[in-house]
Amino acid sequence: MQETPADPSAERIGLRKLVTYRDVVVTEAGMAPARPAQRASVAAVIRNPWSGAAPLADLSAGQERIGPVLAKLLCDRLAKVLGGVDRIEAFGKAAVVGTAGEIEHAGALIHTPFFGNLVRELLDGESIICFADARGEAGDSLTVPLWHKTHAATRSHYQTVSARVPDAPRADEIVVIAAASTGPRPHSRIGDRRTDPVVTSRTLEESPS
Amino acid sequence: MNVRKMVTVIEEIRAEGGRAVSPPATVAVVAAVIENPWAGQGFVEDLAPGIEANASDLGALLAPAVLEALGAPAEAYGKAAIVGLDGEIEHGSALIHTLRFGDHFRKAAQAGTLLPAVEKRGPAGVVFDIPLKHITDATIRSHHQSVEVRIADAPHPDEIVIGLAAAAQGRPQQRLADLSTER
Repeated sequence: MQETPADPSAERIGLRKLVTYRDVVVTEAGMAPARPAQRASVAAVIRNPWSGAAPLADLSAGQERIGPVLAKLLCDRLAKVLGGVDRIEAFGKAAVVGTAGEIEHAGALIHTPFFGNLVRELLDGESIICFADARGEAGDSLTVPLWHKTHAATRSHYQTVSARVPDAPRADEIVVIAAASTGPRPHSRIGDRRTDPVVTSRTLEESPS
Repeated sequence: MNVRKMVTVIEEIRAEGGRAVSPPATVAVVAAVIENPWAGQGFVEDLAPGIEANASDLGALLAPAVLEALGAPAEAYGKAAIVGLDGEIEHGSALIHTLRFGDHFRKAAQAGTLLPAVEKRGPAGVVFDIPLKHITDATIRSHHQSVEVRIADAPHPDEIVIGLAAAAQGRPQQRLADLSTER
């Protein structure tokens, strides 16, 4: 997973470390899934570019400078660890801001086109990317939601993957995460919008269950 | 051996102490979440049959996987056994403290020293630290390090997490005097 030693883009965004997590469910409830999916998250720990900035400081320059570098770093690792962009079916994103920052700082790095559009493009997706964000301590665990990268309402692909960096974020850092899966939940069997019955409070009154 | 899931963690440290780490310091962990071979059997006096049935297979599964995840020759390594709440720590120790397990890693990494280990019991999501030491000389101080791992839903009470860790280098910014300078 190593790359060019002195990566100028990494230094430019104050990158301290990257943590890649991948799991594959071999058996669930004692049975092998029909399609074993690999799920992965990649977390980048960077210095909060707005640490110490004045309240209500403009965030646009930092978003534009940092978002694209992060999108590339994270998506390259996701593709590598999951066996290529073609294998990725679901995606998600997240950020944890350290205690000296604002949630708005986390949002600034993941909720704009400078990150989201590039993640979508690099992972060959079309859907809006679902997300989680939080302000927290180093070592906090975050559950990152994923859904289908081209058909967000595909229920079989609603799933989560955990992400955690033991020593981050420090108070003046932000952890930015991209996550993906190569398939559905193990043993997914809760139907889909196409198979759902019509359910309203009235239909439930008519046929008590 | 019943495996429920496989987990890979790769850490790349790019800066430490405010200075760049170049090339990045890389540490990888691969862990298998398995059913405790002695689950539900009460106190089993003789663990040898379970060791014979599982330890070598686990070593063969994990050793190449952790080296692949590292993507570079290993210079330091370590191992872990984390036992679910219904098992004995002895069960985890049984699977990793045998040459049948460790020799796979030693051979794959061209290593010679004993693997430092963590053995503990805990609930799903327990945090554990895997100690690593140099693969050919456990007294090389620059390579004493550890890596922290957590698997959100493992081990279940009747499971064991068995893991291997490998580092491509010593600590980032290592600068302690060698052990020999104090002798």
